[in-house]
Order: sequence, then structure tokens, then C-alpha cells
Amino acid sequence: MLALSVASSSIVSGVLLGGMLALAALGLSIVLGVMRLVNLAHGDFLLVGAYAGFFFFTFTGVDPLLGLPVIALFVAALAIPVYRYLLQPLAERGAEAQMMTMFAISIILENVFVLAFSADTRSIGVSYAALPLTLGPVTVPLVYVIGFAISLVAILAVHWLIARTAFGRDLRASAADAEAAATIGVDVNRVRMLTFALGVACAGIGGTLIGTAFQFSPSSGGAYLLNSLAIVVLGGLGNVLGTLFGGLALGALQSVGGLALGDGYRDLVGMAIFLLVLAFRPEGFARGRR
Amino acid sequence: MTANALKVCAAAIVVATTFGLASASADEIVIGASLPLSGPLAGFGSFQQWGYKRAVDEVNKAGGIEVNGKKEMVKLIIRDDKTDPNATASNTETLLSRDGAVAMLGSCTPALVNAGALVAERAKKPLVTGCDPLEAFKSVRNWKWVWDIFFDEPELANAELKAVQDWGAKTNMKLAIWHDNGPDGQVVGGKLWPEVAKSFGYEVVQNAEFPVDNTQFTSIIGEAKSKDADVVLVDAITPQAIAIRKQMAAEGYTPKVLNIEKGAEPVQFAEALGKLSDGVLVGGYWDPSFPYPAAADLSKAFESETKLSSSQHIADSYAAAQVLLDAIVTAGSTDAGKINAALAKTNKTYVVGPVKFDENHTAKLPIVALQWQGGKTVIVWPKSEKTGDFLFPLP
Repeated sequence: MLALSVASSSIVSGVLLGGMLALAALGLSIVLGVMRLVNLAHGDFLLVGAYAGFFFFTFTGVDPLLGLPVIALFVAALAIPVYRYLLQPLAERGAEAQMMTMFAISIILENVFVLAFSADTRSIGVSYAALPLTLGPVTVPLVYVIGFAISLVAILAVHWLIARTAFGRDLRASAADAEAAATIGVDVNRVRMLTFALGVACAGIGGTLIGTAFQFSPSSGGAYLLNSLAIVVLGGLGNVLGTLFGGLALGALQSVGGLALGDGYRDLVGMAIFLLVLAFRPEGFARGRR
Repeated sequence: MTANALKVCAAAIVVATTFGLASASADEIVIGASLPLSGPLAGFGSFQQWGYKRAVDEVNKAGGIEVNGKKEMVKLIIRDDKTDPNATASNTETLLSRDGAVAMLGSCTPALVNAGALVAERAKKPLVTGCDPLEAFKSVRNWKWVWDIFFDEPELANAELKAVQDWGAKTNMKLAIWHDNGPDGQVVGGKLWPEVAKSFGYEVVQNAEFPVDNTQFTSIIGEAKSKDADVVLVDAITPQAIAIRKQMAAEGYTPKVLNIEKGAEPVQFAEALGKLSDGVLVGGYWDPSFPYPAAADLSKAFESETKLSSSQHIADSYAAAQVLLDAIVTAGSTDAGKINAALAKTNKTYVVGPVKFDENHTAKLPIVALQWQGGKTVIVWPKSEKTGDFLFPLP
């Protein structure tokens, strides 16, 4: 029989991890919501954030979490030419053309990582990444708590941006009906470009958090893309707070699956939930588009 | 338009065929290798690539190999299998059929090596490999064209516990086993370690299996911690080995002895973990201090050329390539059957020690226990060959 400490620690760790992954998934969600684009290079942009955090820490010695705003801007800056020169010209050719473009970018990025940084597995070696935090019977990695807190703040900031600002109003209008938004003066192209940059920046921040808590290599992106897709489906397309909920729920459910069936079955549980939600509640569990 | 397209295609086929035939019929001996230069096992592939290239470069610098009375240079063609057995198999097909390879060198780990080896076996072309533990190699089939120079899992399974015993390290004799579900993970973790642990008097309090690409080990670690295991034996590839060590520390679990086979071998394990790698044990089959020809020089050459720390994988790959090249010299021909017959007669001491294949096409390398200390591995067992003292308990 499982010890209480094992079960409680595992579930709390899963919830915290889910919260961290929700930030990366949020980037995928808003791009999907506004541009109707499944960004198949999302996991690779996440790795750009992980490598940026790694080299930021290696060369400056400054904690990569302090450098998150710089890293977010850097990754977002990379996204703008991708949108401007590769995605925008294909905007009228349907979602498939843009999706295949992102698939090609994913392959190119993976190879660029190998050529530029070698295929080695890396990890951002900050000291607190290996420290436990114990509260009663629950022991969780301290870095999960820090990552969860940062993720929560970033998600709430994006929620505020979308719900309370003029850009957010334009974004919501473009997501609801791009043609109608254009007729009332919304620059839909600009909104899409900034949304794409925002989505990729979320992936970048998520990548630095994941690189701090875990390990990564040039080929790690695919696994995080799948996790993000599961969270997006669970939380509801384009729903910011729903994505947070989706992350927390997926993390908790994967932990329960890990406890019941073994850690090796976490991903299986995640994908099974993904398919069940797609089949029976494709709009996700959190309704609305906020 | 269609006619033009057909003409272009036809021209392309003619050009490709002509150049393809040219590469196979030129005055050079083509040897192929499919290696994990990217993906989770890239940490092994880069060292193997260096070892294979060095052996071929040495032969070419000496003027090549005499085949049918004429000296020919050796051309090594390496393709990246991206740590995917399907890619290893298709690479091997391509190397043999299109690139004109007369013989092959192996990839790394049973999943990849065996995938390529089965293709070579079917094509009746010789393949020499290291990096494939012998029991996992032998379990596939009775090989006729494939030859393996590596360690034997039963010896590996014993090495670390013998090290603990010989150094008189005291534990509570509770032991946890975590292993992936790859071929060697199942042999070592699923079968050998439980038997060996019991023979040493340990109580196996946990035996957990996980998929090769698993990234989360929270429950496994929590269970071992709650069961108070002082000794943890792990069989996992490098990304998982790094994840496991990091997550153990983050969950506040520090057993007295931690052995991570396979994944803790490449230097990237220590580079990614820093001080967390200190004290981790891993089985070894080669060290520059071994009293074999050019052992120390090989390590120095690697480090001076690449500015990286060397790994034991430079040695088995270098030796495998030398064994194959020597067989071609002995055969005096690029005929696959003659090369294979020469391989069977191999009996020489290489950088990894004496190589003589048995009836199963295997040549066994002796095992030592290595321990990461300050970013480098030292031999801690057998004591007669030690290059450092046993760091106990795990820091």
C-alpha cells in the first residue's frame, strides 16, 4: 500500500508541474484561438527559451529566472520575422499551409540546435533546482513551487492583457470574427503577428522554467508539444484561465495515473484524457473565450 | 509540361545511378556506419564517430589497404540514425545498397545495434560493433555476419555490489532497482540485478520499470524513499539518468549508493549535473590507465583534438573499426565472405584488450566499477586497478 507521503507528494508535485506546463500551453492556445494555427514548432520555440536560459546563466552567472523578461523578448523577437515572412504570405491559403510551414520550421530548428549546441542533453544548473521543500508529509521540488508561482503570475498577466487592454480587445475581436474586426478598423495582421509573438514568448518562458526543473536536448520539443496540446484541449481553446485549469488537472491526473500504474504511464494517462475530452467535450471543460 | 517533367526525372535517375555506381566502383573501400549523432543517445554517437574515423584515418595515412594486389584507400560513410532503430535499419540498407559499403560498423545500445545488425545479416555483409552488451546481442539470434566486442551483463550486474562489498561500505541492505524497458534494461534490471542483489544478501524493496523516454520519476523516487532503500541501481539512457538524479535531489532522497548504468557513462551526464554527479557509480570496460597498446595515447589524442573529456566509447569504437580493417587486410579482398571468415579468426590485443570471438560471435571485455568524482570517472573496483578511492556515502 502506498505511503501517504508518497501519494500526497506525488499529487502536489503533479499539480505544480501542471501549472508550469500551462504557461507553455497558453502560448499554443492563444495562437490557435486567434490564428486558427496549430503551431507545430511550439515545442521547439520552448527549447529556444530553454537554450536561451541555459546560455544566459552560463555566460552571465545571473539567475535565468531573473532574466525571464529578456528571454521572453528575445524569443518574441525571433517570432516576428517568422510570422511576417513565412506565415503572413500564406494567410489566404488556409490553415494547412501555415501548419506545414511550422512543421518545416520545427525540423529546421531541431537541426539548428544540433549544429549550434550539439545533441547533448543539458540542464540549467541553478542550485535550487536540486532542493526539496517539505511541508508535513509533503515533499516537493522547490523549483516546481518557484516555477508554478512564475507561471501563475505570467498567466494572470496574459489574462489581464487580453481582458483589460485595447490590444486584448482587438485580439478577442480578431479571434471571434477576423473579417468583422477588420471592417471596424482592427489591424488583424498586426494583431496576429503580436499574438504569435506573445504565444512564442509564453513558450520561451515556459522553456526556461522547464530547462531549470528538468533536462532538455534538441529533440525534446515534441513531447512538450503533445503535453501542451492535451492541456489546451482540456482547458478549452483560447481560454487563458481554462488553460491554467487544464494544466493543473492534467498534472494531477497524470500523477494519479503514475501512482496507480507506475511513472511510465503518466504520458499514456495524459493522452487518454486528451482523446476522451476530444471525443466527449471538444470545447474543453472551461467554457468561454477569455 | 508533363513530358518535360518526365525528362527531368529520367535525367536525374541517370545522373544519380551513374554517380551511385561511380562511388561504389571507385578505387576505395567503403565502410558504412549508422550512429546516433542526434537524439537521446547522441552522447554516445559523437565518441563512436571519433573512434571509427581515427581508425580509418590511421589506415589511410599508412597508404590504405591492399586488396587484390592493389592498395586502396578506405572511405567511411556515417549516417545519423537520430537514436531511432527504424532509421538505423534504413541507414544500413542505404549504406549497403546505395553507398556500396562492403562492411559495416555498429551503432550504440542493443535497440540500435541490433536493428542495423539484422539488416547486415540479411544482406550477408559483415558488421562489427561495440556498445551492445553481449547477452542482449546473443538473445536476438545466432549471428553469422555480425560480431560484438563489449561487456557481459552478468559481470556488470555484479561489479558495483562487489565494489560496495570490497570497500566495506555499510548499508541497511535494502535495495531499489529502476530500469527502462529497453532490451538491456530488461535484461539487467528485470532479470540480473534482482538475482545478484539477493546473492549479496540485499532485500529488493522495489523493482520499477519505465519506458525508455520517460521523464517523470516522482512516484518511483517517492516509493524508494519511503521504503528506505540505501542502495539504488538504475538502468536508463542519459536524458533519463540526468532527470532521475536531479529529481532525486529535488525530492530530498539521497541513498548511500547510487549506480546508474548506461546513462551515466557519457561526460554530458556530469556536465549537466555538476556536483550532483559526484559519487554516482557506473560500470566501465575501458580506461586510459589500462595496460593495452596505445590506451593512454588514445585518450590524449581525443582530448587534444576535441578539447573534450574522453569517454570509454572512443575505445570500443576504435577497436571495432580496427578489427574490421584488420580483417579486410587479412582477407586481401572486399568479398564479404572472405572478410567474415577473417573476422572469425581475429586473435589480437587491441586498445580494449585481447579480442578473440567465441562461437556466439562475441568478444568479452572485462568490467570495472567507475565512479564520478569532480567531473571525471575514476576506477574504484577492482581495487587492484583503482585510480581513486571509493566515495561513500553518496554526497
